[in-house]
Amino acid sequence: MKKKALTGTIVIAALLVVVLLYDNFKPKEEVDFSADIKPILNTHCISCHGGVKKNAGFSLLFEKEALGDTKSGKPAIIPGDASASDLIRRIKEDDPELRMPYEKAKLSKNEIDLLTRWVNQGAKWGDHWAYSLPDKVDVPPVNLEAGFASSPGPDFLKNDIDNFILTRMEDKQLSPNVQAEKNVLARRLALDITGLPPGESLFREFITQNLSYEVFVDSLLAQKSYGEKWASWWLDMARYSDTKGYEKDQGRSIYHYRDWVIRALNNNMPFDQFTIEQLAGDLLPEPTVDQYIATAFHRNTMNNDEGGTEDEEYRMAAVIDRVNTTFEVWQSTTIGCVQCHSHPYDPFKNEEYYQLMAFFNNSRDEDIPSEAPVLKFYSPDQKKKVDQINNWITQNGNPSLAKQYANFMSYTEPVNNAHDFVNFKNGSYDDHAALNLWDDGSCQLKDLNTKGGTTLFLKYNSGYNGTVLTFKQSSSEGKILARINIDKTQKSSILKIPFGKVEESFDLFVETNNDRVAKNANVISLYWIAVMPDLPGKANPGYGEINDILLEVLNAETPTVPIMIENPDYRKRTTQVFERGNWLLKGDTVLPATPQLLNPWDDKWSKDRLGLSKWLISKQNPLTARTIVNRVWHQIFGRGLVATIEDIGSQSDPPSHPALLDWLALRFMNEHNWSIKSLIKEIVMSGTYGQSSESTTDNYLADIKNEYYARGPRLRLSAEQIRDQALAVSGLLSKKMYGPGVMPPQPENVWQTVYSGAQWIESVGEDRYRRAIYTYLKRTSPYPSYITFDAGSREVCTIRRTVTNTPLQALVMLNDPVYMEAAYNLATIMDDENIEKGIAKGYKRALMATATADKLDTLLELYEVALEEFTTRPEEMESFIYFDKQPNAKKAALTVVANAIMNLDEFLTKA
Amino acid sequence: MDNLDKLIQEHLIRKAQQKTRRHFIKNCAQGIGGLALGSIFSGCDPLTNQKGKTGTPFTERDLNPLAVLSPPFNPKIKSVIYLHMAGAPSQLEMFDHKPVLHKLHGQDCPQSLLEGKKFAFIKGTPKLMGPQAEFTREGEAGNWISNYLPHFKKVIDDVAFLKAVHTDQFNHGPAQLFMHTGSARLGRPSIGAWATYGLGSENQNLPGFVVLTSGGKTPDAGKSVWGSGFLPSVYQGVQCRSKGDPVLYIEDPEGISRNLKKSTIDAINKINKEEYLKYADPEILARINQYEMAYRMQIAVPEVMNIASEPENIKQMYGVEPGKESFANNCLLARKLVEDGVRFVQLFDWGWDSHGTEHSTAIDLGLRNKCLEIDRPITALILDLKQRGLLDETLIVWGGEFGRTPMQENRGNKKMGYKGRDHHGDAFTMWMAGGGIKGGASHGQTDDIGFSGIEGRVSVHDVHATILHLLGFDHEQFTFEFQGRPFRLTDVEGEVIHEILA
Repeated sequence: MKKKALTGTIVIAALLVVVLLYDNFKPKEEVDFSADIKPILNTHCISCHGGVKKNAGFSLLFEKEALGDTKSGKPAIIPGDASASDLIRRIKEDDPELRMPYEKAKLSKNEIDLLTRWVNQGAKWGDHWAYSLPDKVDVPPVNLEAGFASSPGPDFLKNDIDNFILTRMEDKQLSPNVQAEKNVLARRLALDITGLPPGESLFREFITQNLSYEVFVDSLLAQKSYGEKWASWWLDMARYSDTKGYEKDQGRSIYHYRDWVIRALNNNMPFDQFTIEQLAGDLLPEPTVDQYIATAFHRNTMNNDEGGTEDEEYRMAAVIDRVNTTFEVWQSTTIGCVQCHSHPYDPFKNEEYYQLMAFFNNSRDEDIPSEAPVLKFYSPDQKKKVDQINNWITQNGNPSLAKQYANFMSYTEPVNNAHDFVNFKNGSYDDHAALNLWDDGSCQLKDLNTKGGTTLFLKYNSGYNGTVLTFKQSSSEGKILARINIDKTQKSSILKIPFGKVEESFDLFVETNNDRVAKNANVISLYWIAVMPDLPGKANPGYGEINDILLEVLNAETPTVPIMIENPDYRKRTTQVFERGNWLLKGDTVLPATPQLLNPWDDKWSKDRLGLSKWLISKQNPLTARTIVNRVWHQIFGRGLVATIEDIGSQSDPPSHPALLDWLALRFMNEHNWSIKSLIKEIVMSGTYGQSSESTTDNYLADIKNEYYARGPRLRLSAEQIRDQALAVSGLLSKKMYGPGVMPPQPENVWQTVYSGAQWIESVGEDRYRRAIYTYLKRTSPYPSYITFDAGSREVCTIRRTVTNTPLQALVMLNDPVYMEAAYNLATIMDDENIEKGIAKGYKRALMATATADKLDTLLELYEVALEEFTTRPEEMESFIYFDKQPNAKKAALTVVANAIMNLDEFLTKA
Repeated sequence: MDNLDKLIQEHLIRKAQQKTRRHFIKNCAQGIGGLALGSIFSGCDPLTNQKGKTGTPFTERDLNPLAVLSPPFNPKIKSVIYLHMAGAPSQLEMFDHKPVLHKLHGQDCPQSLLEGKKFAFIKGTPKLMGPQAEFTREGEAGNWISNYLPHFKKVIDDVAFLKAVHTDQFNHGPAQLFMHTGSARLGRPSIGAWATYGLGSENQNLPGFVVLTSGGKTPDAGKSVWGSGFLPSVYQGVQCRSKGDPVLYIEDPEGISRNLKKSTIDAINKINKEEYLKYADPEILARINQYEMAYRMQIAVPEVMNIASEPENIKQMYGVEPGKESFANNCLLARKLVEDGVRFVQLFDWGWDSHGTEHSTAIDLGLRNKCLEIDRPITALILDLKQRGLLDETLIVWGGEFGRTPMQENRGNKKMGYKGRDHHGDAFTMWMAGGGIKGGASHGQTDDIGFSGIEGRVSVHDVHATILHLLGFDHEQFTFEFQGRPFRLTDVEGEVIHEILA
């Protein structure tokens, strides 16, 4: 082996000499725009001559601008003639007043040479690698007998991934590490796939060779815990949380979405379908309940209930967040910059942002506290009634009417919300909920289109009897369309009354009269109105009963989940460019479109969220598949093939393994048919993944970031894994899945949100021991120990969690009662007549490895110190394990040792 | 209050105590683990004691993210104490003297002021409301101050006022975020996080960025106002509480003695060292370091957070109530924290949203009480820092997230039971005191009714640029690479307010 290595070195050295000689004599080769020129422009020029600033009328962002006339009246770049080009003249200039980059150091000789050659060669603009995807990538051959330094032997080469990795390793003169031991791999695989240590029997079967590596991987992928582990990854991007965010940060019932993600992952839903259902499930033909729930992806935006805030401003904020999140999640692109100006670095134009926004600007949600539209989950009894009404309408009406009513019963849309009313007299829009009118009060709703509907639904409440509520056409003088007497209500409720037919759009005038109440008394609070066609079959027997049931169903309180629902065509919003990103300064009107730079639009796609999702999962899209394979790779190796996992574009790091990235992306779409499980399996089946992560200082320093994968991944576990692992090894972990967020113990007074009565009510029974993914997540005050271990508050899309290493983490693991309880339970398992055996057992259970003699000695020594202390001071022992009915010093000392085990770096780390 | 001899004496005792404590910590740091992390920087492997061929490329920051860094420019201050009155205090009853508004009291607000403006609660045509406090000129500089702040005149010449600060946010949550992160939307690091990231912490036994809240609530915008945004989470503010554990999980479980905790950490670190030999991963060394630091923090934090041990005269001076959560306690804690080398101390006092919906939010009642609550402690804080020679190296910033309207609030278009003012971002007062600040300065001026700035208008970004300048940063150069572009606290704006600099 050593000899081979030496030969290899000599061969390389010889090659190097040849290459160097050749370099001096070869013809000057063509300069590549993406590889050679764009990085220079981005680093030195584009901050003054780019999307934000265009000093002297010169910008290097788009070809047209770069080659066009500047303020001087002529172009700064003359293709083919560097000597006539101002760009070249100015970078070579000696006078610092004239030289570019202005007030910065002169460009290097090499940079100037490259730019000059590029202009002389015709200043050819090129596509950045990120914006086109090759059709095919060949797996590089590896010649085992080539005699190169890194000759790996069959041990390393397990699948095609390894060929790509090995090729790059050879470039860097690195060689693969040995494969990790089986127990290490078992723990690594289980933590990566299920987020938990492997189950005892599965582990035993694998170690004793009864299960092959592949079968072990397959069994892990088949476990339900797989979906729970990988859902954390997706929910960070989906900004899932159990509260609405902003000031009041009230609770939000959206856990059905979290459960949908877990199920979709466990069912291995192909990623293309996963995309469509979340972005546009509501626009599919006859959407299922699950497809509606999936659309809650974009209802995870925050909802502002703070007093005095403008609903429209925060509706826009949510729409903007949806555009930005969609591009961050699927395209690894920070499109947010383009909101105010053309992208400073990437070729996206300002108006393209608003064209994208137009896809999202037509949903019914309007930042109101009820979070409407919400999908109602009817109980089986209620469901029978809903079916009864649906049958009635189908029999007595037509399918389109039946659909309209069915939708109204499932999510109560389309309505006109109170905040749209204007021109108040004796009344006002009461912040965020309803409009209030007093005696002789009135207001207007402009441009209402009822489509000739003759039934009015309204949601209201009132504290007084005897109010006459009148709806008129246009003004107080207009035709009366509906009139009703309103009495005191117990709670807000939905009413149904006949309404005058108006075919065209008109201004609705609402007035109230009640001369028996004080002048400023709110005689009605109105939340929304909806005008619909009549319930059919009025003349038929049973109509009265159906009418009553309809109101009963509409007023039924049910569990709900916020969903996306599109405005009907006649209520479509127009989208305008915001001047410099200010939502109050509206510019040109735009239509939905995708950025020109990316894959073309297929005209058979509808210009809505459904079309957009099809565009994203088109095999022509250069970014979607790369984004996903890059991030799955990052989850497993702690580093992306493009290290900037949030950004694949001209400002990102170049890929460490460009061919592998593309090969994986193509394979993910074409061979794995968008199966995430297959992608994960392919990665963990590689020899690259299977390497030991052990190293020496020299080897470690040769590749600190492990960019070339000459050793296995070694990463600190996530906040969720740390909790779940502790509960698992101590035997406390509950297997219960799904449902509302739970509240494991957290210190008192952590929740102190203004204007919110919400409280942390500690869960009892097995809910205390559920996996971290089920912990209630309040945006303004997330679960403290998770935050300490770098989980986010999910206010906005999080692509990457920065991994930190802090003393506060030590304090959590050492002192948090949750980990103390886990330690105590692990100590119970360790309780053995032979203490040494007990400690060894505990270590093995926690770490899936046998403790070395040194480690065992250290832990035993700690046990002795603790035992001594608890024996001499029994009162300390009793207060330490106060919950134990028969506390004893041995148990207390073992708890200390178990706690120490759970604080070891190796416990907090996947190696 | 003015018992200077006692103050100075106390200061000396304090210094002596500190020496002892530092001595103790040093010893215990060696006692525990005993791993000389310093050696890795000189290119030695700390465990094998062999010198690597090229030396290690690790910086001290790799092992300790709070290691001290020098700022690029000459700093005027070492620490910042930022006093935020959450809810937005009324400048018109505290610092911005408007006699004309007094004369116009009760008149309809001119339509020209209302056109194109948005208010949180004001509807229709509100009436102007004259100042509810009385003003006098105080100090050598003769700056105006109201009778709501009777003590503050003692330190008024140490303070530089910004009378025409403006913000474009008029709701609490977004405005607080803007004031502390430079953006009204979530996701950006707070000023304290930037400062700690840029400078590290002088005291490795305490968090570098400490947050103290009073008034019974946390700020409207939640913990994001002291968040680290896209910076590593180690730079986010650590909330130290007066009730319960001062820092979450800082206390040992009951029945675990210090000695046993030390043995536990010794064992953990000993095994971790063995791991390091196997993996050569510097993260393991960092973890060893963090466990040692955690042990030291367990001593240092409760000690610094304990105000009961302060001398009686100091307690009186601030008006503290040990054991309770109060602004006065927090001011005293702020002094103790900067004295011990904490970089950034952020105080939030909740309860300044004087809408006039009830007694506690009435401009002439609740607001006055809030002013009295902060008047004495803030005055004491400035005097106390001065006595200890710390005012020169500390910056105190005072303000809210916006100001309040010269008009009386008419929520729901009705006359309300109490006198209130609505949110107003066009013009409000902030002040700074301490190192690098020109005491007695007053920059900016508002119109006759205090509605808009007419001279020396400064933005939130300008305030940030000034704070960073005093800490030794050029706010345009102090950036962090995220999502493919460099981000800075001041976004693309901000100018240092030289008018208030010494």
